[in-house]
This record gives sequence, C-alpha cells and structure tokens, in this order.
Amino acid sequence: MAWVTWQQHRAQLFVGVSLLAALAVAAIGTHIPIAAAYSHEALPYCLPPSERAGCDLLVARFQEEFGSWATVVRGLAVLPALAGLFVGAPLLAREFEHGTYRVAWTQGVTRRGWLLSKSALLALATIVVAGLTSLLVMWWREPFDALEGRMAPSAFDVEGLVVPAYAVFALAVGVLAGLVLRRTVAAMTATLVVFVAVRVLVLVFLRPRFMTARHQTVLPSATGARSTEWVLSDTLVDAGGKQVSAPRENLAILHAHQASVDPQTYVDSLGWKRIVSYQPAGRFWTFQLLEAGLFFSLALAITAVAVWLVRRTPA
Amino acid sequence: MTPALSAWNLGKRFHRVWGLRHCTLTIPEGAIVGLVGPNAAGKSALLALAAGLLAPTEGSLAVLGRDPLAEPAVLAEVGFLPQGAPLYRSFTVSQATEFARRTNPRWDAEIVAGMLERLSPHTKVGTLSTGDRTQLALALVLGKWPRLLLLDEPFAGLDPFACREFLQLLMEGVALISPTVVIASHVMADIERVCDGVVLLAEGRVRLEGQVESLLESHRVLLGPRRPIGAIRGVREIVRERHSGRQLTLLVEVDGPVLDPSWVVERVSLEELLLAYISPDRLRTPKPSEGIPLQWHG
Repeated sequence: MAWVTWQQHRAQLFVGVSLLAALAVAAIGTHIPIAAAYSHEALPYCLPPSERAGCDLLVARFQEEFGSWATVVRGLAVLPALAGLFVGAPLLAREFEHGTYRVAWTQGVTRRGWLLSKSALLALATIVVAGLTSLLVMWWREPFDALEGRMAPSAFDVEGLVVPAYAVFALAVGVLAGLVLRRTVAAMTATLVVFVAVRVLVLVFLRPRFMTARHQTVLPSATGARSTEWVLSDTLVDAGGKQVSAPRENLAILHAHQASVDPQTYVDSLGWKRIVSYQPAGRFWTFQLLEAGLFFSLALAITAVAVWLVRRTPA
Repeated sequence: MTPALSAWNLGKRFHRVWGLRHCTLTIPEGAIVGLVGPNAAGKSALLALAAGLLAPTEGSLAVLGRDPLAEPAVLAEVGFLPQGAPLYRSFTVSQATEFARRTNPRWDAEIVAGMLERLSPHTKVGTLSTGDRTQLALALVLGKWPRLLLLDEPFAGLDPFACREFLQLLMEGVALISPTVVIASHVMADIERVCDGVVLLAEGRVRLEGQVESLLESHRVLLGPRRPIGAIRGVREIVRERHSGRQLTLLVEVDGPVLDPSWVVERVSLEELLLAYISPDRLRTPKPSEGIPLQWHG
C-alpha cells in the first residue's frame, strides 16, 4: 500500500514541499531586516521586558515597523486546513466520484486495510511538512517571541506542536467528510466548516481553562505589565471591588479633564484597580502539549470512525 | 462442493426502490453463467453484493462459501470487473498493473503480460480507448488467478471488433484458470456464445434459471391458425402468446413432444426465449418463477 499511496499522492506531497520551500525563502528574506533591526536597536537590552528607560519607545518602534509582518505570519494558521481540504477530503470522495472504489476495494487488500495504511502514511507526511513549517515559523518569530511572548493565540497557533496536530486533525476530518458526503466539493466545504468551528471552540472555551488562570492586581495606570503572557481579561474595579462599567470610566476621565488633572493619576487616586487575569508565558509547552494532544486524539478518534464506517457501510 | 455463488432470498433496496428482491440462486463452481435482463433488472446490484460493495437489505449470500462483507479476504479470490472498467485514469498501464500486483496476495505476471502485449506500458489509462481499458481491466482481474470471475456489462461501449477480441481474451483466460464466471450483460448473443448457464433477472427478481441447452430443449415455438386455446398435449406452460392477423404464435415450455398436426413446431433461439420471459404481460404475474397461471391451461 505504501507504493500505491506514493503513486497517488506524490503530486500532493510535491505541492506541499514546494509551498514549504517558498515559505522558507520568504521567511529567510524577511528575517534578515528584522534580525538586523533587532540587534541594531539593541532590543535584547530590553529583555526580559522591563521598565528600563526608553525600552517602551524602542519596542514600540520595532513593532510599528514589523508588526504587520507578524500579522501576515499569524495568517499561516490557515495552512493546516489545507491538508484537510486538498488531501483528506478528496481521498475517498474522488474514489466515489470516479467510481474507482469499485476496483480499489475489490482487491486482496481489504478496504479497511486500504484506508488505514493510506491514512497512516498521509498523516505521517502531513506531520513532517506541518512540523517543518512550525519550526520555520518559530525561527522567524524569535525576535517577536522575545518581546511579545508566544502564549497569545497569534503566536501560539502557528508555533510548536499544535501545527502538526491541527493539520492531522484537518486531514482526518476531510477523510471522514469524503466518506460520508462522497462529493469532493461538499467534503471540502464540510472540512473547512468543522475545522474552523472546532478550532474556535477550543480557542475560546477550552484553552483558557487548560489550567487555572493567574490574577494580578495592578494600578490602572500600570503599563507594560504582562506583555509576554496571554491576557484573558483586564477588568477595572473600584475600591469596593465592584467592576467599573465603561460609561463610569468615561465619566471619571471626563471629570479629570474638567479638573485639569491627569486622568491616570485621577483614576489611581480613586483607589481603582485593574485585575488582570492571564495564562503565564511559562506554561507555553504545557499548553502546547495539551492542545496538540487534544487535536491528535480527535484525529485518531475520527480516523477510527472512518475506518469503522468504511467497513460497515459499503458503497 | 461449496457453490461459487449462492443467494438466499437476497434483497437490496436503494432508498425506496428495490434493486433486487427475493433472489434465490446457486451457481456451481466451474459454471459459466450469463446474468441477463433489461436495464435496472438488478444485475449490477447482484454483482456488487457479491463483490462486497453493497450490503444486503434482506436475505443472505455466500461467495465461495463466505460472506464477502464479514470476510473481505475472500475478495482476493474474486475477480470483479465493474461496469466501465473504472481504473485510476492518472495511472499508466504499467502503474495500473503494479497497483493490482501489490494489492493482491496471488499474482500471475505472465498471464497479464501476455494479455497486455498490444498496449504500451507508458500509456495513461485515461487516454486508452474503452476497448483497451476494458481489456486492461480484464487482464488485471485474471492476474489475480480468481476462483470466481464477475464481469459487469463488459461489452458496454465496445465496438463489435473490440467485443470479439475481449471475448477471445476472456475465453483464453478462462480456459487457463478455469474459474466460475458470471457475466452480466444485455447483449444476449454474446452470452449464448460463451455461457453454458443463464440467469434471467427482471425488476429485481429471478425469472428463469438453467442450462442454456436444456432451456432451449424444453421450449418450442408453436405456429398455427388463430383460435381459442385449450390444453395442448405436451405443453407444460404457455410462456407468451402473440397473434398477427389470423396467425397465432405461442412460445411454450414443453414436457413432451407436441404431436397435434395443426401446430407447426419450431425450435426457439435463446434471445427470443429470454425476451418472452420478460415480456410486460409476463412480469405482471405474481410469481412467474414458481407459478403456472391456471387460466392459460383452459
């Protein structure tokens, strides 16, 4: 079956590797000015993010210059979905559309064996390509990670173990969608919808609760704090611990202006506090392991369902 | 000896329509059987059930004594040539051959190479003519050295020349391997040429089953002047009656010689016989395979 898989999917592998190569070229090309600016502006001097004089300005300038590039890299979070759309979904749907399953599944290799070996080999290739992409992004984002941390979703989602996990998950969803829907376009659409939905649900509801969030109380005027952590919420409370609503905050700022007082100082003087709830940067690898584990398990479960279904419900 | 294919009350429903129903038949090992019937008769459904591609809605079937769904390993011994020979179009001839070799435990490279002499190994399957593609598919199922060969409409889309060539290759392969062969087709002339048994399906049911020779022997065409029909000595059942002007033509199943001199007795061709069994007024009778409608006996 390895031979069969190689013959049928080498074109896809070639496209995948080409994409990776193009990405690598772009990464190297853009990394040069970033690295130059990073060392030229003596940013390492500001590490770990500190209150050293002038650092605010330096970091802000660096972020202003290269922040948009980092935003583009954040968009690479869609790449894992491609494995599901272009490898997973057509895997069975195309067999049904072209009728070739009637030949493929009546040979000595049982269709369960057929699907298992194909899924395993494609998953392996997907993990390798997605893993390399992840390594490339981690290398490229080094300066950004140092300044901004990598706990927030913008970095977390494109680095580390979760990238191959997302890709394998998308692949499994695609295979199952192709088996159930039997049409490539329908299967691709379903794969995209399910992939995005699960990713968003995990990001919004599960990941913040992987471990109990930490809280810190700071003065309302405090800046730069917790810049490398993943800040989940940042609430302004009054002296009595009651949450300050936005109109009330606006009113306070208005009062400060009318009284010609610096609003920050004024708000501090009211005894108001900010309660910052966050996931600390140090939990990066723990969270990566948890989320990657979750998506790998989902992929396994979905593949198991597909293998069971392909045997139970014949064409 | 286990039969090559046996079905008991086999039925397959597609959504709300029965593609095959109350199908009970036994095909002994070594037989070459034509599975005939009009379109949508259930021929393809029966073969797909035998190849494990469909699950029965009711009843059961055994292929070489085993259930193809529960024991898919039996498919290694079954050569199934689906209608239209749907091989991977992006493969070359040699890739397609390699595919079949690697997905089957038993493989005879020699027989395949012999059959593919005419085709260039580097041609893409997608660019082959229907005839060549069907031949390739046939070579690949014979390469498995199957004990049971299932061919679904192999002549569809073939010109008469390609058809003849296909039959030639098929008969050579069958002579070598001597598998049980089931050919589903609506080209009855070809069936007559190669098959020794026939199963007639229509509207999802078995209408007639038997050896070609004995079926031809037990049926006759009677020609005579038009008249009310009573019992005719030697006739077991009137399969079909037809009149044109003052002439009456009966196709009958006989159980002895028809000696009444007012009838001209002729032999019947297989095609005519099969067509008679699936004529519209015949299909309306409730259980044609069992019952002898009484009113026809006068």
